[in-house]
Amino acid sequence: MKKFLIGLLVFVILCGMYTYSTYNKLITKDEVVNNQWSQVETQYQRRFDLIPNLVESVKGVMKQEKDVFTQIAEARTRYSGAASSNDKTVAATQIESALGRLLVVMERYPDLKSAQNVQILMAQLEGAENRVSVERKRYNDKAADYNLIIKRVPSRWVASIFGFEVRSYFEAQEGAESAPKVQF
Amino acid sequence: MYLFKTIIISLLFIFFASVSDVFAYYDLGKPSGYVNDFAGVVNDDYEKNIENKLKEFKKQTSNEISVVIINDLKGYAIENFAVKLFESWQIGQKDEDNGVLLLVAIEDRKMRIEVGYGLEGALTDAESFLIINNVLKPSFKKNEFGKGINDAIGEIMLAIQGEYVVVNSGSGDAKVDYKQAFYFLFIFPIWLASILGRSKSWWMGGVVGMVIGGIVWVFLSAVTGIIAMVILIPLGLWFDYIVSNNYQVGKSRGSVPWWAGGGRGGGSGYGGGFGGFGGGSSGGGGSSGSW
Repeated sequence: MKKFLIGLLVFVILCGMYTYSTYNKLITKDEVVNNQWSQVETQYQRRFDLIPNLVESVKGVMKQEKDVFTQIAEARTRYSGAASSNDKTVAATQIESALGRLLVVMERYPDLKSAQNVQILMAQLEGAENRVSVERKRYNDKAADYNLIIKRVPSRWVASIFGFEVRSYFEAQEGAESAPKVQF
Repeated sequence: MYLFKTIIISLLFIFFASVSDVFAYYDLGKPSGYVNDFAGVVNDDYEKNIENKLKEFKKQTSNEISVVIINDLKGYAIENFAVKLFESWQIGQKDEDNGVLLLVAIEDRKMRIEVGYGLEGALTDAESFLIINNVLKPSFKKNEFGKGINDAIGEIMLAIQGEYVVVNSGSGDAKVDYKQAFYFLFIFPIWLASILGRSKSWWMGGVVGMVIGGIVWVFLSAVTGIIAMVILIPLGLWFDYIVSNNYQVGKSRGSVPWWAGGGRGGGSGYGGGFGGFGGGSSGGGGSSGSW
């Protein structure tokens, strides 16, 4: 009986130590993922602030392409109205596709494309897109690192006790993996 | 059913992983200096000249610029390649992220300037774009790689010159690690031996082993902790047994073993040559182009 009690005590202590270390690990990794998500949002915002400049500089020449500009404006409004991170992701995707369309339409205006200021704006936009994709990829890596603990046995039991939830990934959109190409 | 699903998914995963390996970043190994010409297109005079310039620039400003010329990207996008390379070489100081990578892929006819987080304000995407377009492109078209890179480096240095000044060069990090490793490998066991040996008990070593195992458990993981305990407890017992015996025998003979007096400090540093970059990171800033 005494032996059994000692065994039980050792077992409980071991379980306690395991729970303690797993909990701390989860907290740390969760914070890392949060931090990375804020990096993604920073880059979203940066791109978002860049768009008006580009739009203003090409709007005058591209008078008959109203649709594209309306789409961009709508997507921007939606992004600034988005509260949750899911909404933000959706709105950011819309901005991306609207911008993509603008770039396609611009192909029809060779004069515009060769203008120095437009070229520089495009380079900036390219840089913004590239930053977004880099931070997103890092977010996915860090979320995967965290999700692995949550999904694996036995740490998943600890995670479920404290209510840690699986973080969602950025799905690969068309061309989201590599930086968009702007050809001159 | 669940198991079946898992197997299918992991098989798919392995399949995709191996497929994507075909177009993948490949490791360039460790940097041999600021200029790494894997394609051999820059002549020696230029290479030496640029290397010295960058070395001097690092000394004065702590900014690190690295020039890397590779043959081809093996199908990888140059943006992704640059980010990966930056991640593995960590150009720039750790807390400043003040590094710049100029990457050129000869066969793909592509180049990229990748800017560390800390220099994004000084070397903007627009400036990188202009350097690529106005300096690199014209020279590369004439196959004058050395000249183009030399001029581009000049422009980059001009842009980032005022951004950081040297606050004690940060080359001490490696030495600290070295000393710590030295401490753990040599001083710690000696210190432990001097304590355990003086106690007549033979079981303290086992307790120390268990405590270390427990610490490993809490800070690393349960599995490592258990393994550490399984190894360290008997090892501690044995160690304590040996040193206690030795100490007693030595004491009876009138000479205390050398380790019982406590540890003596001392370590050696190393210097010279190119010691690698400082630990900076980048986040996709900069610009790319082709010629």
